[in-house]
Amino acid sequence: MVAAGWLSKDVAIIAVPIVTLILGLIIGWLGQRSGFCSIGGFRDFFMFKHTRLLFGYLALIVGAFIGYLVFWLITPSAFTNFFWLLHNGLMPVPGAPAGLTVAAYVILAVIGGIAVGLIGVLLGGCPLRQCVMTSEGNLKSLWFVIGMCVGAVVYTMWISGWGVALLKAAGIA
Amino acid sequence: MAETKADKNEKVSCLDTLAKNPLYVGLAIGILAALVQVLLISAGGPEAYGFCVACHTRDVVNVAVNDIAGTKLAVAAISQNAILPVLTVIGVLIGAFISARYYREFRAKTGKAVSYVWYLAGGIFFMIFALFMGGCPYRLGLRIGYGDVVALIGVIAIIAGVLAGIKIATALAEREG
Repeated sequence: MVAAGWLSKDVAIIAVPIVTLILGLIIGWLGQRSGFCSIGGFRDFFMFKHTRLLFGYLALIVGAFIGYLVFWLITPSAFTNFFWLLHNGLMPVPGAPAGLTVAAYVILAVIGGIAVGLIGVLLGGCPLRQCVMTSEGNLKSLWFVIGMCVGAVVYTMWISGWGVALLKAAGIA
Repeated sequence: MAETKADKNEKVSCLDTLAKNPLYVGLAIGILAALVQVLLISAGGPEAYGFCVACHTRDVVNVAVNDIAGTKLAVAAISQNAILPVLTVIGVLIGAFISARYYREFRAKTGKAVSYVWYLAGGIFFMIFALFMGGCPYRLGLRIGYGDVVALIGVIAIIAGVLAGIKIATALAEREG
């Protein structure tokens, strides 16, 4: 169920790489200047009671909500599923087939979240921070980014299918 | 981030002061992600997809692999329909590099060979589990703003993982020190 935005479909198809590249340039610049990091925000808060980065992440959630709300008022057609849960139930996990049960999505979110938090703390940053550190000349982060590229292929080739099969065999999905 | 003396002596512009505060950066990223959805939702694809390091990397890598090896790996509709996939991560790498060069913060940092292996394995597992969860922490934030409760559960799970990671890290530090 894809709604129309401001741009027509033909223009949007050409605009996808251009707009996202510009967005990435801006986020990369801002991230390098501020040291923005979500997992680092949680870590600093629980270890040192520093709230600087944590408020940055909370501001992202608030900013997204404000942005969606404002643009939804201007162009409702681009945000037909705003307040997602009211319209659609649960948002499908990308890569996995849509239409799993609620319990399956929650289990996936909990397993993934714990692992992501653990790895992020032990290796010193969320993916955005690792990308920014790569650009600042950190070779360890470069290997992290390479690992992310490998992991993407590994996940889509094998794990997403197996994971769904396992969940179905366990009677959850 | 600790400021060095060289930073304080530099002439600081108003925009740079804002860019150095994560609060404004977070607000800016959230609003820009909403703007990207307004512009690009006609191309198809999932909603609340303005900015995600994990998913956008997945799209770029899978489209590249599909082109080279002729496979049919899953890609978000927005990247499948467009002439090129979403390039946010490439933009982040280039933007941060330009910024680091411009403010003279680019420094080559190397590590031991063992640490490279750890980071490679960490990257692989991070991506797999992030895709289980349905995105990196930033897309979870965007999904919370979009009204998705599962994303909120995911963020609570991340906090649990962070607490466990802190325990492990302190235990390792005590054993070594």
